[in-house]
Amino acid sequence: MTMLLEAEHVKKTYRLGRVDVPVLRGASITVDEGEWVAIVGSSGSGKSTLLHLLGGLDRPDADSGPVRFAGEELNRFGARRENLYRNRDVGFVFQFYHLLPELTVLENAMLPALVGLSRVRWISDRAALRKRAAELLETCGLSHRLGHRPAELSGGERQRVAIARALINKPRVLLADEPTGNLDIHTGGGILDLLAERHAEGLTMVMVTHDAAVAARAQRRVRIVDGRVE
Amino acid sequence: MYAPLLANRYLTSRIIPFIAVAAVALCVALVIVVVSVMSGFLEMVRASGKTMTGDVVISRPITGMPYYQELIKEIEALPEAAAASPIVETFGLLQMQYGTGDGGKQIEMVEVWGIDPASLDRVADYSRKLYWSKPADAALAAMSPDDPLRNPFYHRDADGMRLATADGRPGLVLGIEISPFNRRGRDGAYRTSQAPGAPQDADYFMPNAGKVILTLVPVSEGGSLGGERKRDFTVVNEFQSGLFQIDANRILVSLPVAQEMLRLDAAPMVSRTEFDEDGRPKVIGESPSRATTIVVRARPGVDPVTLRDAVRGAYARFHERISLDKTLPVNPPFPDLVSIETWEERLSDFIGPVEKERELMRTLFSIVYIVCAGLVLAIFWSIVQEKTRDIGILRAVGASRTGVLWIFLRYGLLIGIVGSAIGVLLAWAIIARINDIHTLLGTAAPGWLRVAAWVATAGMLALTVRGTLRASALHVVLWGFGTAAMAVVSAVLLQHEGFLVWDPSVYYFSRIPDSLDWHTAWTTMAGGIVFSVIGASIPAARAADTDPVKSLRYE
Repeated sequence: MTMLLEAEHVKKTYRLGRVDVPVLRGASITVDEGEWVAIVGSSGSGKSTLLHLLGGLDRPDADSGPVRFAGEELNRFGARRENLYRNRDVGFVFQFYHLLPELTVLENAMLPALVGLSRVRWISDRAALRKRAAELLETCGLSHRLGHRPAELSGGERQRVAIARALINKPRVLLADEPTGNLDIHTGGGILDLLAERHAEGLTMVMVTHDAAVAARAQRRVRIVDGRVE
Repeated sequence: MYAPLLANRYLTSRIIPFIAVAAVALCVALVIVVVSVMSGFLEMVRASGKTMTGDVVISRPITGMPYYQELIKEIEALPEAAAASPIVETFGLLQMQYGTGDGGKQIEMVEVWGIDPASLDRVADYSRKLYWSKPADAALAAMSPDDPLRNPFYHRDADGMRLATADGRPGLVLGIEISPFNRRGRDGAYRTSQAPGAPQDADYFMPNAGKVILTLVPVSEGGSLGGERKRDFTVVNEFQSGLFQIDANRILVSLPVAQEMLRLDAAPMVSRTEFDEDGRPKVIGESPSRATTIVVRARPGVDPVTLRDAVRGAYARFHERISLDKTLPVNPPFPDLVSIETWEERLSDFIGPVEKERELMRTLFSIVYIVCAGLVLAIFWSIVQEKTRDIGILRAVGASRTGVLWIFLRYGLLIGIVGSAIGVLLAWAIIARINDIHTLLGTAAPGWLRVAAWVATAGMLALTVRGTLRASALHVVLWGFGTAAMAVVSAVLLQHEGFLVWDPSVYYFSRIPDSLDWHTAWTTMAGGIVFSVIGASIPAARAADTDPVKSLRYE
């Protein structure tokens, strides 16, 4: 198996007022292509921070070890490559869905594709993009909700839209931060089934959860305690 | 491609951008309305100033220009000139007798124009400036029922054009503001009040042939004063140029009369060294009559500056031709001693301050742009604050800082365009109906409107009570303010008996200028757009700097 993501002794410290709060104290993790890894740990252990560093949403401390994607160091990325990485190479799913309330379900699902699209390409690719987003939403069971706004959806439906949005650009890795944390067991189960289907199709996934039952669905579990991987 | 989509959605799916749009629209409309009225006022002043002077004025004060008839022929031969008219300009004393005895005597220092009515009519539409004349049917229909001009007795066009009475006595036309008993009403019409001690039917000065005495003092070429000359005149009409300074100071008499009183008429020239057999100085020729001023009208499509240059050329040719003719006893003044100006140059002392006043207003009201930028900034700051999470999502899915910046700049641009366009439309609507609005303010509110206002007040009060019962602070505050505002409006309407903001007796023009200054409209619109974008740029930069991790934690 090829290693796709790697964090090597990464450190991250947040400054709260005048106090430095170390969150990651040299955490290391590797994720192979096609693998489904669950990062588990108690609240405040640093698992979400590690996910943000893997996804290029945040940068580690200056004295930290590197984060690599397919052998490339994220730290060496310029602004353009970093944006491209977040847009094309990874897809994010958050606990609170984070859909844009002004956009419809279809538009929310298309958002990452729109971000990477020029006006000219929008004119030429619009129909194909709409079709792809609609198909993706159909596989998520939302074909009847395309024109609805997020406020009109249930929690489970919103998370399905978020998953469709994360997958629209066919990323190599999906990063999910407590994807079922805001859902009941039944709905959460449905979401995990949907993710499992994607994994079965070959998608690499890193999922943060504090729920052992959810973590059990992953192939491998990595536990973080006090900012270090056990 | 996401930037226009989000900018459009933010604009159309929320209320707060409409507040920004309304703020921009009101700012833009305010500037356009004020500057348009000022520009219209300036244009009215300019148009009034131009009245009576034509496009170009040739002037040689006091001693005048001999052979002016030849000069007029030379000028009228120009392809740029349509007509020219001679004038004799001077100052004099006008004695007006209102009542009996010295107590009814009024003496005014006046500017006296000796004119040729027919040629002045061709140059400056003189006949249309005569106030006591038969109005057009359309104008007649719009007149107040008690407007004296409704009475054919007051239609004295012919006397004004003759500058004489029907039986041939010398006549005089007064500026309409000279007589202190002329009263300009709110409708812009003049009526005559009674002078103390005057007979009941006395009507000063029109139309009952009021007598006045004009005193002029001729000045010789050497600069010495001749003996004063007094003459009785009958007031045959009054004129209204539209410019207060002219209407309150100028009187018109016929050119030959003015020439004769000022000794500018044709007269024999005598030798100082030769005498005839009776011992009197020998007559050696005739000194020609003179005019101090010639006003020239341009042909359609010829601008005054072009005409002025052509007239300067014509005067140079005229001067050369007359000077070379040794049979003529006198030479016209050198071209450098004759002033040849466009009407604007001649009136620059008067028009300049009004123009400066307009620019001052434009500059002062430009502060509104800063208010506009400030409002957009404050509203956008709050929008960015509220949209922090959205910005984090966009950054998480790969949007660049520039992309986020552009969303809010585009949003500001949209608000600027929509707000400014609405502002222009609003200003146009106000300007187009400004006189109707003014009339509405000038009349008492109708009964139904007063009742409707109180009904609306009661309705709002009911909604305030409902808000209180439902414990909704927002409804109580909103409807409470609405009730208070509507109660004030209702009370004002109850008391309102009509007031005039634009009093024609003060501003001299009977109508408020009601044409939109499109140049100002476009520049203000552009300013509104630019300052909206400037206002949006700071919150936009803040949005671009948003840390995605922090903003996504914001839940």
